[in-house]
Amino acid sequence: MKKTTKFFTGFGLLALATGIFVAADHIDAPASMGTTADIADYFAFEPTMGSDNTVFIVDLQSNVVDGLAYGTFDEDVLTEINIDLDGDLTEDMVIQAIPRNGRMYFFGPVTPNQTGLNSQVLVDSPLGDVEISATSAITETTSEGVSFFAGPRQDPFFFDFFRFNEVLAPSPMDNSGFNVPGEDTFDGANTMSIAIEIPNSMIGEATGTNVIGLPVYKTWITTNRKQ
Amino acid sequence: MKLNSIKHIFVGLLLSFVVVSCNNDDDMMMDDDMMAGPDFSGTFAQVDHMGRPGINTVLGADGDAKDAHNISIPANQGAAFQMAYQERLEALHDAYAIALGLTAEDVDYEPNILSGILGFDVTAEILTSVLATDVLEVAPDAQTVYFDGSVPVGFTGRKLQDDVIDISLILLFGGRDGARFNGEGGLPQLVTDGVGLTADNITTTFPYIGSPE
Repeated sequence: MKKTTKFFTGFGLLALATGIFVAADHIDAPASMGTTADIADYFAFEPTMGSDNTVFIVDLQSNVVDGLAYGTFDEDVLTEINIDLDGDLTEDMVIQAIPRNGRMYFFGPVTPNQTGLNSQVLVDSPLGDVEISATSAITETTSEGVSFFAGPRQDPFFFDFFRFNEVLAPSPMDNSGFNVPGEDTFDGANTMSIAIEIPNSMIGEATGTNVIGLPVYKTWITTNRKQ
Repeated sequence: MKLNSIKHIFVGLLLSFVVVSCNNDDDMMMDDDMMAGPDFSGTFAQVDHMGRPGINTVLGADGDAKDAHNISIPANQGAAFQMAYQERLEALHDAYAIALGLTAEDVDYEPNILSGILGFDVTAEILTSVLATDVLEVAPDAQTVYFDGSVPVGFTGRKLQDDVIDISLILLFGGRDGARFNGEGGLPQLVTDGVGLTADNITTTFPYIGSPE
């Protein structure tokens, strides 16, 4: 990973030993950090201005520092995209992704049979599946216009994380905050991405609103380990 | 192929159901093919959670609090985490006060740039109340952007190119004009980390993120 490999190695050990946490959600907490279920990042956006589709990207794992699980989707880890339509902060629709034998299988979007911390795979609502990619992206698109991808990608997050840790603990000798320009800790890092582009009509109507009154889906992602 | 006894039982039940309910051999073969697929059985328990970027990382009080956040549900997060987030936000301001040779009381969070947009003071309590419920809002019928003062919408999604760290810093430390603590006048630079998107991280076609390095 470029010129900073050595530094990263040292930092990786330090991070695991002392509990230093990396944004956006990369290795953010002791119990999940560095595991195959560790969420690195989450994006949700319209692919082009005015599109009737939404793209969800979930990044699991990261090789931003050494010593972390990276490179293989875990068949015991179920990833869920939770979507609250009416603004009550409880999921009304769920999209699931789980790997089996080199393919990523998708289910939903459907109202889950239970909300909260435990889930089953929604096997009655298969959405499609795609071969897990190596370096080149392999994608599938269904007749309903849903596209799938799963595989390693560049970690698109950018953040001067090393300076951030110093910024969090200022002293009279070092109280200047961030450097401009800073150094992007994540340049050169990779992550295991799951991407789905789906027509909004399959998700449903948003009746909840955001802080400025626009109708929005309230969404969050979870990883869930087989018991 | 790996089979387990539960699946054998299930296949048996399904086959007997098909035999009883339907004499169509094609249907039976289709169902049989479906059952030859992967085994997705079992219960899966939540181990990690994410809505907005960086919230648990920056505002979580300690390792235990961050772990608790990851196995919580949004409907409970406001009550569970808002107070601690507010204390953490004020503590970060206090740390800079002391590092700058001032007293903690001299430097507090100032209502941020959203105050002008929303028409009321976005206090530390209001801001951390919003952030404590860790969901990413996504508008199906509006431009999607995390927040950008130059765009008339906001809190409508998160694009790959959105500079979420700078936006978060501006909302936490930027004050009413978004430029408080901008590195000038002897104050620290707390409203940008000075880095941007690396161009080859993203692409214009699905899956929109670049090949691994």
